[in-house]
Amino acid sequence: MWKFFRSIRSWWYLVKQLTQVEIIGMYKKSFLGMAWMFILPILAVIIWVVLNGAGVVNPGETDIPYPAYVLLSTSIWGFFLEAYKSTSNLLTKNGRMLIMSEVPFEPLLMQKIVVHLINFIIPFVVNIIVLLAFGVRFSALALLFPISLVPLLMLGMALGMVVAIFRIIMVDVANLIDEGMKLLMFLTPIVYTPKITSNWLEVIVNYNPLTYLIGFSRDLLTSGTFYMPLQYLVFSGISFILMALSFRFLLKSSSIVLERLINN
Amino acid sequence: MDEHLLEINHVSKKFCRRLKRSLFYGIKDVARQTVGLPITTQLRPEEFWATHEVSFKVKPGEIIAVIGANGSGKTTLMRIIAGIYQPTSGEIKYRQGLKVTPIFALNVGLRNEFTGLENMKLKAAIFGMTEAELKRKLDFIIDFSELEYALDTPVGNYSSGMRARLSYSVAIATEPDLFIIDEALAVGDSLFKTKCYEHLGEYVQEKERAVLYVTNRIRKVMALANRVLVMRSGKLIQDAHDAKDALEYYINDIVGDDMTERVKEMKLKKIRHFEM
Repeated sequence: MWKFFRSIRSWWYLVKQLTQVEIIGMYKKSFLGMAWMFILPILAVIIWVVLNGAGVVNPGETDIPYPAYVLLSTSIWGFFLEAYKSTSNLLTKNGRMLIMSEVPFEPLLMQKIVVHLINFIIPFVVNIIVLLAFGVRFSALALLFPISLVPLLMLGMALGMVVAIFRIIMVDVANLIDEGMKLLMFLTPIVYTPKITSNWLEVIVNYNPLTYLIGFSRDLLTSGTFYMPLQYLVFSGISFILMALSFRFLLKSSSIVLERLINN
Repeated sequence: MDEHLLEINHVSKKFCRRLKRSLFYGIKDVARQTVGLPITTQLRPEEFWATHEVSFKVKPGEIIAVIGANGSGKTTLMRIIAGIYQPTSGEIKYRQGLKVTPIFALNVGLRNEFTGLENMKLKAAIFGMTEAELKRKLDFIIDFSELEYALDTPVGNYSSGMRARLSYSVAIATEPDLFIIDEALAVGDSLFKTKCYEHLGEYVQEKERAVLYVTNRIRKVMALANRVLVMRSGKLIQDAHDAKDALEYYINDIVGDDMTERVKEMKLKKIRHFEM
């Protein structure tokens, strides 16, 4: 991991430039420009409010209004999923730069994380305003919420770094894992609550680390309580170890797979 | 390392001809490396040597042209020296603290919707410059590229020559000890090309620097090189300090059979009567 931080330090200007280019570039040709960063999350809220009002969804009992519950849960899930997606596309999306210049993958990985955090923060602030409108009140412990997301980021990156290698040499496996992520969303209490009654689903939910990593952050923010703190800590530790191992795997394997990018 | 900037000893690199087999070997090599087993340095079915047992040393002040037919291993060798590819076997010794800047494709990283100035900053970052370093060198880059009038124009509206000038100017502003140029030497119109030749000639004399460039153009070899390496099927077959001799050997003995007598004669005439 020290190599990662040393590399980031010497390539910091590249991280900064690529982040600016990506964020500004997303909206450069749009007349509404950066306003889209606010419009999209507001539209997402409206959809859930309408669906809830129409009684289309029946979630079970939640401590906070259902649209607020789903909004928050999907935001936290999105945080995990985007960490996975941006990391897993690291080598394929930057292949030309990695093969045609001396740029190593570390600053590109860092840039992806920074862009991911920026893309998360703005819609999340909108969500917080909506939660306040739904009558949700926050305690002082809610201030710990950003830190509570770190294990989710680490787990998303850990999976992503392994899949980044697979995406070049084992495309079938990478595709399967991508599809598996869609399924994983339904095996995690996001659009329903952990108090479910289906037997088989209950077993999966109980063994799913995301139940605790997402639930802990959600409850910390909405009620100022710690959801299953022991499980949260154990899975946080595992996420950290997995991230360190995945980074090592990526570091060691990247030169073997990058020379095969030419063929792709 | 004595007085050399770079020492390449028996460097070889293998690739696989078939895509699926190459991916299969990739899986195998990644798996072996993950569990700590060695990766074979022998050729497996469908593999070939892209560069084989290449050895040479680079001294300060040298401008070395690397020539050879398509697929002779020039670019692979440059990528190994630049640290992008790991050699299958052999080793490369760099003088301590040696700064290498490689250019393989001038357009890498350029963003069409951003202005010339924004792209200069982006390109400088890609070449490893810091913000402070760029601040010091920005005037030089603008001046050398002769693009001051188009700094606020999106690069998408640049001609290919302008884009190449932008990238090339940023690359030389990095002031590397070893400059590796693959098929991108002296870009733009003829005036700008002449400026590049003159600049590179002075550049290697100023400090302990060298240039390694890949080209198959007679003019680019004759105008600049004080040493020529000829490659064929991954092997270094000639290392000459006289560009004329090396080019004549290349045309007569290496690619001559694939040329008509008229073309061959024309090329040899161009070498013998070359003028800048």
